[in-house]
Amino acid sequence: MKKLLNILIITSLLFFAASCSKKLDVLPQNYATADLIKSSSDVEALIFGGYTQLQDYGAFGQEFLMVPDLLASDSQLVWVGTYSQYKDIRNKKIVSSNSVVTHIWGNGYNAINIANTVLDKIILVDSSKKDLLEGEARFIRATIYFELVGLYGKPYADGNAATNLGVPLVLLPTYAYDAVKNKPARATVKEVYNLVIADLLIAINKLPEKNTDSRATSYSAKAILSRVYLNMGDYTNAALKANGIIDSAKFSLASTYDVAFNNNSNSPEDIFAVQQSTQSNAGGNSLATFYAPQALGRGDAQIDNNFKSIFDPNDFRVSFITEGYSISGANGIYTNKWALFYKAIPVARLAEMYLTRGEANLAAGTQVGALPLDDINFVRARSGAAALNSVTQIDFAAERFRELAFEGDRYWTKKRLQLNIDGLGFDDNKLILPIPQREMDANNNLKQNTGY
Amino acid sequence: MRKNSISIIVMLLWSIHSIFAQTKEITGKVTDAKDGTPIVGATVKAKGFNTSTATGQDGNFKISVDNKAQSLEISYIGFNRLVVQVTGKPIAVQLQQSDKSLTEVVVVGYGKALKKDVTGSISRLGSKDVENFPAPSFESSIQGKAPGVVVSSGSGKLGQAIQINIRGISSISASSQPLYVIDGLPATTGSMSDGTNDATNPLADINPNDIESVEILKDASSAAIYGARAANGVVLITTKKGKEGKKTILSLDLSHGISNPARKLSFLNAKQYVGLLEQSKINDATYDIANNVSGFATYADALDFYKNDPYSGYQRVLDQFSLGTDWKNGAVNSDWQKALFHKDAPTNQVNLSATGGNDKTRFFISGFYNTQDAIVINNKFSRYGTRFNIDHNASDKLIFGLNLAVNRSQLDRITNDDAFSTPGQLVAQLPISPFIDPSTGLPNKQTLYPSGIYDALYDFDKQVTFRTLGNAYANYKILPSLSFQTELGADILNLSQIAFAGKESQDGAGIGKGSTVITQSVSLNTNNYFTYSPTINDNNKLNVVAGMSYLQNNNEHTYAQGEKYPSDAVKNLAGATSITGASTTQDKYTFLSYFLRANYTLFGKFLFSVSDRIDGSSRFGPTSKYGNFPAVSAGWILSDENFLKNSNTLSFLKLRASYGLTGNSEIGEQQFRSLYSVANYPGLPGFTPTQLANPNLKWEKSKQTDIGLNFGFFKNRITGELDYYKKHTSDLLLNTNIPLTTGYATIYQNAGTLDNSGVEFAITSRNVDGRNFKWTTSFNIAYNKNKVGDINGQVIESNDGLQRAVQGYAVGSFYMQKFMGVDKQTGDALYLGKDGKNTSDYTLAVRQVVGKYTPNYTGGFTNTFSYKGLDLSAFFYFLTGNNIYNAAGRFMSDGFYNGFDNQTTDILKGWTKPGDITNVPRTGYNFGSGASNSSRWLYKGDYLRLKNVTFGYSLPKSLIAALNISSARFYVSGNNLLTFTKYPGDPEVNTNVVNNIAGGEDFYTIPQAKTFTFGLNIKF
Repeated sequence: MKKLLNILIITSLLFFAASCSKKLDVLPQNYATADLIKSSSDVEALIFGGYTQLQDYGAFGQEFLMVPDLLASDSQLVWVGTYSQYKDIRNKKIVSSNSVVTHIWGNGYNAINIANTVLDKIILVDSSKKDLLEGEARFIRATIYFELVGLYGKPYADGNAATNLGVPLVLLPTYAYDAVKNKPARATVKEVYNLVIADLLIAINKLPEKNTDSRATSYSAKAILSRVYLNMGDYTNAALKANGIIDSAKFSLASTYDVAFNNNSNSPEDIFAVQQSTQSNAGGNSLATFYAPQALGRGDAQIDNNFKSIFDPNDFRVSFITEGYSISGANGIYTNKWALFYKAIPVARLAEMYLTRGEANLAAGTQVGALPLDDINFVRARSGAAALNSVTQIDFAAERFRELAFEGDRYWTKKRLQLNIDGLGFDDNKLILPIPQREMDANNNLKQNTGY
Repeated sequence: MRKNSISIIVMLLWSIHSIFAQTKEITGKVTDAKDGTPIVGATVKAKGFNTSTATGQDGNFKISVDNKAQSLEISYIGFNRLVVQVTGKPIAVQLQQSDKSLTEVVVVGYGKALKKDVTGSISRLGSKDVENFPAPSFESSIQGKAPGVVVSSGSGKLGQAIQINIRGISSISASSQPLYVIDGLPATTGSMSDGTNDATNPLADINPNDIESVEILKDASSAAIYGARAANGVVLITTKKGKEGKKTILSLDLSHGISNPARKLSFLNAKQYVGLLEQSKINDATYDIANNVSGFATYADALDFYKNDPYSGYQRVLDQFSLGTDWKNGAVNSDWQKALFHKDAPTNQVNLSATGGNDKTRFFISGFYNTQDAIVINNKFSRYGTRFNIDHNASDKLIFGLNLAVNRSQLDRITNDDAFSTPGQLVAQLPISPFIDPSTGLPNKQTLYPSGIYDALYDFDKQVTFRTLGNAYANYKILPSLSFQTELGADILNLSQIAFAGKESQDGAGIGKGSTVITQSVSLNTNNYFTYSPTINDNNKLNVVAGMSYLQNNNEHTYAQGEKYPSDAVKNLAGATSITGASTTQDKYTFLSYFLRANYTLFGKFLFSVSDRIDGSSRFGPTSKYGNFPAVSAGWILSDENFLKNSNTLSFLKLRASYGLTGNSEIGEQQFRSLYSVANYPGLPGFTPTQLANPNLKWEKSKQTDIGLNFGFFKNRITGELDYYKKHTSDLLLNTNIPLTTGYATIYQNAGTLDNSGVEFAITSRNVDGRNFKWTTSFNIAYNKNKVGDINGQVIESNDGLQRAVQGYAVGSFYMQKFMGVDKQTGDALYLGKDGKNTSDYTLAVRQVVGKYTPNYTGGFTNTFSYKGLDLSAFFYFLTGNNIYNAAGRFMSDGFYNGFDNQTTDILKGWTKPGDITNVPRTGYNFGSGASNSSRWLYKGDYLRLKNVTFGYSLPKSLIAALNISSARFYVSGNNLLTFTKYPGDPEVNTNVVNNIAGGEDFYTIPQAKTFTFGLNIKF
């Protein structure tokens, strides 16, 4: 009896232990493992993930618009909030450990890694979708690289693009960490621009003219490419690309200025916009968080009263503002462009294409599509601003400041036209972001920007 | 009455038995040799037979024993066992109180041991130390009682997580918190509530009054039996067991307390505030003119601008926030700091327990009900529950039992320290802002920042936890020397949390926001082990434990959040018309372990112990699932050697040494795999890569050496212990930064080392041990040095970037610009520059290690006096060598540069004119200086605190007898009565509770409570 019991205890124990051993293999229940990315639709799901990175607050969800506007604040934008990382950007007192600077970089390369992964796995994709996914991957990669090189590198317009440092060019996906290979040095500004152009040209070819769910189209890629050319001073090509979009007649200006913003999906003039919904959005950090006054938002980003002085009194755009309070008690005025949460964020609007075509035609001495004066007046007319009788390139810049205010354009326009910003020369070291300190620490092949 | 009838049956059965067995009856009386008082409930047993009885109320006993019985064995807890010859006459037995140091038993992993024979380093706390303590969770009461155990309870908020570090912080990226084992069952200790607020403490679900003992296993030899989970030490909690006795003992504890903040900061009053604004306006104007910033023609123009400008002017602040009251003449003087505290916050505790049983079955039953209001408004903790512990001897060979506790707790929470709506941030409001808006008669919402008082009217965050902790066991004696124990336990935690922010409040953003969290965590654990303790002879004793254990935890977490409520009428998510997020996640981990331990004692004085544990875990990849954790130790009881045996001074001396390996795997689940998470772009369900694989990820290892001694002098009137330890942690599970250009931010790697070494000393002296007057003094002190080794140049920093792990320094060093004082000519703040010279340009200042939050020395000092029925104890706790950073300094002590927040009074000493010698830079919203994070707000964190004074009175025996009760004691106690520190606020604060790198930061953190408690313990 005793013996039997002993044997029973020991055998059951051994049996139990053996069955437990298998229990050590626990699969994740909230994530997909890498081996599950194996079909055409899995790769498609990855590119959708790329759109999420565009929507992130580190990209078009917020920083690609707000950070350049803070850098080029120019008595237009005031930071009254307690977040010192934004206050420092506005005051050009950025430290390299600034969390915003780090996040833009990290989110950008996350998107790039997704694009690289899709391009690497394109072989898995059904032939009917191959072009589409490749086009989207190249569009996302190019768009991010273009924004990053503009924020972390000297402007193309300073003439030294071939030697100025841009950002590292990473064109292959990371599947495993390699402490040697995964430490790229910075490419030159020119090299980054070259990749951006090459990617966008392929994207224009591969992307369809129409796409579902506000995904990228060939026009989206053309719109970004027109910006790239404009920044390079390649006015002929900038005008051509902008004209291609206008001529397609796929887009039209929204009936009134206010209709172009705070929409649930693309407005008629959105060539590309980032979508948001109540359950998919840039999160607690978003344009509305900072640009909308209390109680909905924090109201940290206030418009300086000087902003009003750049408009005709009849211009509807000057009245597209609201009075309110910030969370730290300061009263002031706020733009209505980002007054609501969960709305689509225009990345490229048709109005910009008119201004680009007009300015590029003027600068290049060409007349692609229309006369420069007609283009600028067409945009002005929508908002009830008086028609101009003549136009210079500076007039186009001033119109961009009015039309595209608080959409992140001012920084780019000022730099490409070599205009001073907040009393600093367009090429001033303080007007670009530092390479994030944590990235400098993790990658000894990087060189910090001068002045940081 | 039923019990009586059972006893009658038992007695009848006995008498029948005696008739057949030919018995004789023996009577006698058992008394205490010291004062002759009768001992109630002492066990009287016929030696060599199974007959036994217990002494009655008067110490008398009557026992029928077999005719052949020669002697009786008399035993009682706390007294030496005595064997007396059977003579036929009534026997008078005088029991000597036992020397506790020889019989004291400590709980060790998978068993118990005599403290005398233990070769490891274990700190033990008894029930007296943990019960009736005015804090929700028992860990608070460990503070200062166990050398080398640093307990930090981050704030005076209730229900918050508590950080405990045993012998320093031994990890950087993995958890540094000990393993908690309750009656053999590893308990869930991680926070289960929503991640956006502070971590909460699941250990608060355990009723401290149910705890019999807390053993803290500190060195490798005692902890290594818990292998891969033991690198941070192990805390064994043993709940009260039923005690055999003729009488069932009922015990009632009642207490009521009131709490107020232990320390407060000093803020400006309305007059001082207006004056400081006035001065700052002058500073800005003067600076502007002197440096020709804006090109004002005259000083008057500049002054006018800084007074009246809508952005930069000071006047609007006063006009706007005084709500039309006459701020010039001090019409309003609001003390907002006072408003955040709940004055005389009450605490009520009721605890009722019963213990008793016979030689077959023993039980302990308890029920409790506690409510506690925090010293801060809107924060409450209440709980009730019951425990049922039972042990039953089914036969000579089989014992089984159950420990079961079922509790419900409710925590009413406030938002975290970083939220505007948290009451702690009320101190930022202006003293010229009235509490009540004169135009509406309602609480003022037109304050500088959203008012926490206002939000408190509309918001709540309530979490309810149901917790069941149960452990059943059976122990079977296969042979007299071999037993098998099997245990099956479950820790079931159900938490549901409902949070709501009304439309009116700031957090409600004008639309109303709500969320709900439901978490279910279920741990199943089984331990199965053999204990072999053969009787070889008196000179050779062996004890071997071998077995296995399996632990599985499933955690299911569901949350949903919504907004746009029609009104505040429906506050749960049924009222939200737009659901903004919802998700369910599941996590699981498993541990499979085999363990073996052998203790061998030679001649009663040479002690040896070896142990080994093999752990397998789901947390690591296929190549490194299993880890091996051996330990060895040895001890030598020198006082049993002939050359010391007869010493009059030295009564006990044991030398011991241990060495072993323990592990750490607390990095969360699935860290070794490549993972893709779901991305939800509108209409496009996708994946984003979130984690890179490291298939070779393995355990973090700590090798620990411990050398110690235990001593006793003058018949153990003075006892104590001394330990030196060295803990080397390698293969750190480091969450290393990799270049973001990979698309990933971090990857877990086994890289780097970390060292802890230190000395611990504890001594207890029974200074006076008279019949009526007793005086005992205990003192303990521990020193720890923590040093980060080579971490491959990794920069691992806290979220706020103010602290990091730096090679050659302590984990959690403060890493920031060094403040060097104030330029007396300009009033600029000066910092140490890259070139070693002072600079006023903050961007040129170099970040460096300026301090650390971990202490060098910690300890406690207790004096206990008793005279007849009176008892008095006073307990001091101290800590030195650490720093505290006031992270809110750049808002509350910045001279308005970052906003118009009310300021601490030290800012009144700000620089105003050339030649001023001060440590406070120039104030000013526009041109103030020194408002960025720097060591300017880093303080020495040393403190000495009178943690507890208790004065008690026990009713005399005559009165007790008249009242027909066993004992009654009334007491009054005070906690945190006095504090000596250089830190201007409460030194016991930490806004980042439970974090290795971030600690010792004050960010509007609620101070500790000063509590007065009145209580009563009655035993029936």
